[in-house]
Amino acid sequence: MKRLGFFIIIGLLSSGCLRLDSFLYNNDNSITEYKLDAYEGEVEIPVGEEYNMADSVTHVFTLSSDLDGDIASIYAIYLGNIADIATDTVILYLHGTRDHLEFYWPRVKLLGNVGHKNRYGVLAIDYRGYGVSEGTPSEEGMYADADAALKWLKSNGLTDDRLIIYGFSLGSAPATELMANARSMQPSKLILESPFGSDEVMVQDASKLTLPGSYFTNLEINNADEIKKVEEPFFWIHGVDDDFLAMQTHGEVVYKNYDGSYSEAHRIDGGSHGDVPFVMGYPEYLEALEAFIER
Amino acid sequence: MLAVLFASCNASRVVKPLDKGEKAVSASFGGPNIIYAGSPMPLPLTSVAYAHGIDTGLTIAAGLHMTDLAFGVIHTDVVAGINAYKSKSENFGVTVSPGLHFLVDVHETNFRTYPQLDALCWWNYLEEKEHHFYGGIGTWIELNKAKAHGEVQTNELMPYLMLGHQFEWSKWNLQLEGRFIGFQHKAEDIVVDYVPIGGQGTTGIYIGVGRRFGK
Repeated sequence: MKRLGFFIIIGLLSSGCLRLDSFLYNNDNSITEYKLDAYEGEVEIPVGEEYNMADSVTHVFTLSSDLDGDIASIYAIYLGNIADIATDTVILYLHGTRDHLEFYWPRVKLLGNVGHKNRYGVLAIDYRGYGVSEGTPSEEGMYADADAALKWLKSNGLTDDRLIIYGFSLGSAPATELMANARSMQPSKLILESPFGSDEVMVQDASKLTLPGSYFTNLEINNADEIKKVEEPFFWIHGVDDDFLAMQTHGEVVYKNYDGSYSEAHRIDGGSHGDVPFVMGYPEYLEALEAFIER
Repeated sequence: MLAVLFASCNASRVVKPLDKGEKAVSASFGGPNIIYAGSPMPLPLTSVAYAHGIDTGLTIAAGLHMTDLAFGVIHTDVVAGINAYKSKSENFGVTVSPGLHFLVDVHETNFRTYPQLDALCWWNYLEEKEHHFYGGIGTWIELNKAKAHGEVQTNELMPYLMLGHQFEWSKWNLQLEGRFIGFQHKAEDIVVDYVPIGGQGTTGIYIGVGRRFGK
């Protein structure tokens, strides 16, 4: 009997029920509505009033995201005239791991100023489990949520050649995934800011040993390999002093592995993980994005 | 995000070799220190081990890492504790412990092995008690030359300094150990907030409990 108990314990332990996947998501779903400019909580970067967007072009709405039958109502913000999506160029912004869209709202409205105010449409979503969006975060859920955004854009007349996808940090995973393995649309250009290499790079950065990612997570985030499938133009920007996803081990590998039609790299001295546009300077950041989109 | 440093996942297996024929079981708790939810804490790594005094001055110990098992990683280690020097008074000695770690996960059957080499000095500071201080240096050795995505692995060693104390009673012992791990690495630009010394590596705290029998 004691021997049986021993093997049961060993069996339970070795079933590997502990995983670190959920630690990837630092989501906050304590808010009940999106206040945007009136939001008084922490935001990632300070953006001056000159970048504010008019209420008439700021649309907050929900999308239905279907993850193999697990349907979640997720929130989205569109900057621009929805009726003009059929003719505009649109940037789909996929945010990082923190909190919710309120935290990233300054970044979203900054993108509404690329070129000049309202030059391009901007769509941003809160993944499931973030902000007021329903559900629980997951890797596949993120991909489904981003694809729900693409379906909405397509239903409003957007075509592949006018779609730009922008992934920041965690958002680099759905951005690269949907670029490499197109679902509802095939974006025409990819912008990655401070991207992951893969979950395995995170493990090896932390351990300093060549431990496999499978020892800790079931995540399959692998931008460093997925980027090899991307043919479309690629813009990479990363803070040299990134203290979360080190530029050398994450971003540089993604950039090096890209073998598509055009790429440009922006290594920002003094930039950490979340402050690259701020450190680079907003005018310079916006000019660089515009030049890439227009080329 | 919590991540785990598997190197330095247990207190020193063999501080002083057992006597010939003596056996012991032990458990180790603790690990590298990280900042989690704003507070420093040692990673809650646990392992159990069995040791056998093969000969005077040679003990073989084998361990199983329970926290790793909970992650679906079968992690075992085998260590040979060798008495390299003992003073005539037997109050001071040097133990050298070469070892091997074997790891394989049940998810994707990824296998790794890491040689380990420890060397420590122990000092019995009381004439009639076996309690002893010990200190030394050890390292894990990286055998793989390539990291994820074919990048070159330039880090060949994961060294650590050890400083500890072992209380010895007739059958039981209690071990307290501190470590300074990976001191050649700057503790920055990584996803984990370690508790470094002078911006380098991380510290670690371990508690070990053991019982000898069968001499």
